[in-house]
Amino acid sequence: MGQTVTSSLQSSAKTPKTIAMKENTEHQALANWLQAVANERSKAAFTHLFKFFAPKIQRIAASKYGNETLASEVVQETMSNIWRKAHLFNPDKGSPTTWVYTVMRNVSFDLLRKIKTKKEDNLSDDFWPLVESCEADDADSQFEDHLASKEVMRCIDTLPEEQKCVVKGFYFMEMSQEQLAQHLGIPLGTVKSRLRLALAKLKQQIGGEK
Amino acid sequence: MISCHPTQEMLEKFANGELPATLAAAVSIHAEMCSECSAQIASYTEQQAEAGFNDVSSHDASSTNVNDEDAFADIDIDDMIAAITATDEIDIALEDKEKTITVKGKEYVLPRALTNMTMSNWSSIGKLARSRVELGEGEIRASLLQIQPGGSVPEHTHKGFELTLLLDGSFEDDMGVYGPGDFIVLDGKHTHNPVSHEGCLCYTVSNDAQHFTQGINKLLNPFGSFIY
Repeated sequence: MGQTVTSSLQSSAKTPKTIAMKENTEHQALANWLQAVANERSKAAFTHLFKFFAPKIQRIAASKYGNETLASEVVQETMSNIWRKAHLFNPDKGSPTTWVYTVMRNVSFDLLRKIKTKKEDNLSDDFWPLVESCEADDADSQFEDHLASKEVMRCIDTLPEEQKCVVKGFYFMEMSQEQLAQHLGIPLGTVKSRLRLALAKLKQQIGGEK
Repeated sequence: MISCHPTQEMLEKFANGELPATLAAAVSIHAEMCSECSAQIASYTEQQAEAGFNDVSSHDASSTNVNDEDAFADIDIDDMIAAITATDEIDIALEDKEKTITVKGKEYVLPRALTNMTMSNWSSIGKLARSRVELGEGEIRASLLQIQPGGSVPEHTHKGFELTLLLDGSFEDDMGVYGPGDFIVLDGKHTHNPVSHEGCLCYTVSNDAQHFTQGINKLLNPFGSFIY
């Protein structure tokens, strides 16, 4: 987008640094809302997400496909996927905006494919698995990430058995907290507190690198 | 060591969801095997997301973006939110369940990108066996091709383009030896004669039948459309 600094009125106040800061706090808020949707099924948080993302998705899709109706469909589908898949968002793996972008990209791919080829095979999640798709920001950190994930695995192995179970079920097998509760025959609250404990412990062990 | 990679343009289009499914599948499979390309894709994705959602400076500066809210005015936001949040179901990402196929007695684990695709029955001539992957993209066609040990594809050129993604085993032609993950794109300018000593399985995409060039192989021309 070519217009960055040219319209001078506002730009004087916005040094790159303040923009970056604004992005950071914005990202934090978005990430919190996504997690509130995932963990508490919070409609209030979802409304915030909706108001932030829906108009932008509408604009991006409309300019890309030149079709407002299709764009609304992309909005509808993307937002409902966010509601249903928020638990797959992992703040350690990427920014909330990148995650939402990948959801939108997948939705658009399946929609367009349906229109062009009449196929409703929804292949996008096979091509771009949402759990892994927002990995490293740049090529350099790829290898670190790899090492880091080994480190994480080591730490997980040191957790008490019952916490290990919950962590592995939730993050590696992508079971929901409800499913885990059912599967392990324990109350939902217990799943949540075990998960919290485990994560606190992991954070402690891995330290504040990120 | 993977030596052939998709072009940057392809990786970027893949990240943006702009490739046809036949090619998107190939890039996805390659990226699963190649950490460099997968990091590159992640970075393109990040950039796109950035441009679309985080472009703070453009919010009030650009005329096209001023009216984010206006563009959305005629949709009843509350209704839409209510409809979406009415259900409490969540999507469970299924555990990656491996899908294997057996071709002429050899078993292969399919890459994740291919697990939900419809494939035709295998048909074969000589040491070649092929199954068409039904993606419905007209003249762009995808197949799985197995070459048994010692088998080769007669020397041929391509009228259109041909992408070969090696999934298992190895093959060589006059340009080199290829192994799993290699992403080889050829077009009408190239002639080649792939030979596989140990046998291999490839995912191939082409937009036209191959054109065989040599002597008796001309007889094979009618089979050009068989192979790809």
